[in-house]
Amino acid sequence: MSDLIVLPLVLPLFGAFLLPIVMRTSISIGAWIGPAILAYGCWILGDQWISGTTLPFSLAIGGFAPPMGINLYIDSLALLFAFAVQLLGLLFWPFKIDQETARRQALMLLLVAASTGLALSGDLFNLYVFYELVAVATFGLIAASGGSAAYASAIRYLILSGIGSVLTLLGIALIYSQTGTLNLAHLAQLAPEQLNNKLGLTAFLTILIGVGVKAELFPVNTWVPEVYATATSRVSAFLAGLVSKLALLIILRLLVLIFHQPEAIQVMLVLGILGVISGELAAWRAKDMRRMLAFSSIGQLGMIFIALAIPEQGGLLAVLALTFHHLLIKSGLFMLADGWGGAIEKLRGAAKRSPLAAAIFVLFSLSLIGMPPLPGFWAKFTLITQLAAQTSPLYLIGLTVFLLATVIEAAYLLRLAALLYGPAAKDTPIDTLAKPAGLSLATASLFGIGLLAAALFIAPVGDLLNHVAGQAANTDLYINTVLAGTGGSQ
Amino acid sequence: MRNLTGLLFAGGLGFMLLAIASGLDFGAPPMLVGGAIQAAAPQETGATNIVTSVVLGYRGIDTLGELSILFAAAASAGLVLGRRHTTAGTLTEGGFVLKHGGAMLFPLLLTIGFYIIFHGHLTPGGGFQGGVILAAAFFLPLLARPGARLHHGMLSVIEGFAGSSFILIGLAALSEGEAFLQPMLVQDALGQLVSAGTLPLLYLAVGLKVGAELAGLLSHLAQTESEV
Repeated sequence: MSDLIVLPLVLPLFGAFLLPIVMRTSISIGAWIGPAILAYGCWILGDQWISGTTLPFSLAIGGFAPPMGINLYIDSLALLFAFAVQLLGLLFWPFKIDQETARRQALMLLLVAASTGLALSGDLFNLYVFYELVAVATFGLIAASGGSAAYASAIRYLILSGIGSVLTLLGIALIYSQTGTLNLAHLAQLAPEQLNNKLGLTAFLTILIGVGVKAELFPVNTWVPEVYATATSRVSAFLAGLVSKLALLIILRLLVLIFHQPEAIQVMLVLGILGVISGELAAWRAKDMRRMLAFSSIGQLGMIFIALAIPEQGGLLAVLALTFHHLLIKSGLFMLADGWGGAIEKLRGAAKRSPLAAAIFVLFSLSLIGMPPLPGFWAKFTLITQLAAQTSPLYLIGLTVFLLATVIEAAYLLRLAALLYGPAAKDTPIDTLAKPAGLSLATASLFGIGLLAAALFIAPVGDLLNHVAGQAANTDLYINTVLAGTGGSQ
Repeated sequence: MRNLTGLLFAGGLGFMLLAIASGLDFGAPPMLVGGAIQAAAPQETGATNIVTSVVLGYRGIDTLGELSILFAAAASAGLVLGRRHTTAGTLTEGGFVLKHGGAMLFPLLLTIGFYIIFHGHLTPGGGFQGGVILAAAFFLPLLARPGARLHHGMLSVIEGFAGSSFILIGLAALSEGEAFLQPMLVQDALGQLVSAGTLPLLYLAVGLKVGAELAGLLSHLAQTESEV
């Protein structure tokens, strides 16, 4: 049964290769291929979770035992992310039918496959391959959003992403030149002796900056506002909600397994703090809803980087809580922005035009700010208690910035909410106001329902995340699961 | 200001790399996994070309990823280029030598391309290299006769079926109870043309896909350019 876990990774690729052929004969059949594959992927991954297969387990691709071959490592964290990838792929599926449908849907399938690979792979270079695939598929999807602005932002993203890829590859090369292996578990075994030095630190920093391009890490996040403002909302939602978190997952695995130097953690903490400050201040000044969301997402990811700098189970719990909370919220908000793009001023009085959308926006905003009893409060509360328990003054600076950021967040989100519920401008009749389209609003409502459900069942959700964090923080478990029975470090 | 930061970053990166490089032990790479693969590869995969056994065996899923990256790049380029209207090429025809030279080279390039693909498990070369030569074979007539067209439908059919057969071969191993992409039918005939089990089939799929993809992309580019 556990062998089938490779299917959610491989079937989308299979579908992507065949889609252009099928679309040539029949568009109506072709249009069902992608959603069917993703639904099947959800089913397989969900079934793994429910059937209670003993997690974690490792699956050798090609039957070559790691570290010689490539393996997939499936623990609850990887499974959770892989499931989220397939589900969000389905929710953000590009249904639009026109002459570029085949290409767009094939790229989306490739993006989903690569993201699943990022969640599951247990090999450093294999992660890089999937990271590149994510990047290339994303370029296409952004450029396909149309308009010269989308082209320009795609080109800028391409250049920055290219620099990031080169840096990541450099880091991987340094690691390989020092250890002679690429398997994460094998590296974790060798790291205390061979990578606990300047070379290891350099390798981590280059990978951090390289992967940080997708994780919206300060200062390599300049592509974020432009891309999110010009790409279609579905693409932006998938990128902001999920792809950034998968890049974060790579850094999380590297930190837990391989790099334990205090300098590495300090750099991440400082970059995270700077990200929070720059992101939230820029969001406060933004005049366009999508840009505001993009900058706010930079700030939120900065908070997650601050949480990542606490390398214990408690810190990981905060990381997971903030990550999944942001995933729900930002995906939902971008779906709302689908109809509400453009200048914020134009949204004056829009609540009368679309009461449901405005209500969902307020719900998301309150949770993002951290209003109890919404899940956002618990996520932020976890981080605050963790930060307060640290002794180093840098963490206290992080705590201060984090609390200030929350105030700024409240200022700009509630300002927009007040605009929505305020009176409409005199010369514009209510019927002409913008309104999120039906499908986007339905998707956003789904995320709203998910958020409310998480608020109702906060105790079991918290226990679950704690369990997931505990499993992810256990380095020995990872090493033993992957290398069991292969004679260890031979 | 922006130039200055760029300069500082580049300078810092260069300095860091120099400092790191001075400490590296060149000429004595740690052959931890590499050595183990060199010792075991011919028996485990049946390929004398160890690079092939790594590319298609030990790291087969990386190759699948690379194929997908190429596919994604071609699809993205198609999305961007497809927006312009393609009209008939207006460039002048190539001369006598170019035209007939291109026609004569076509079968030769085809033969070499397939030779390199089919011998990927024995000699240096393989699907990627052979595929590029195949693409060149189809692109050469286009250079000689700018008005000529490649059959895009045919190319995308070849490409799609080649890519999906790579995955199907992998899934076939899965359905036999083995791991995904596990080499099957490994015969005890090291060095023979028919050896190494499914690896040459995988390389054929890679070669056809790469060839069809590049040929399609090149002709797409040529057509878009010819109208400017």
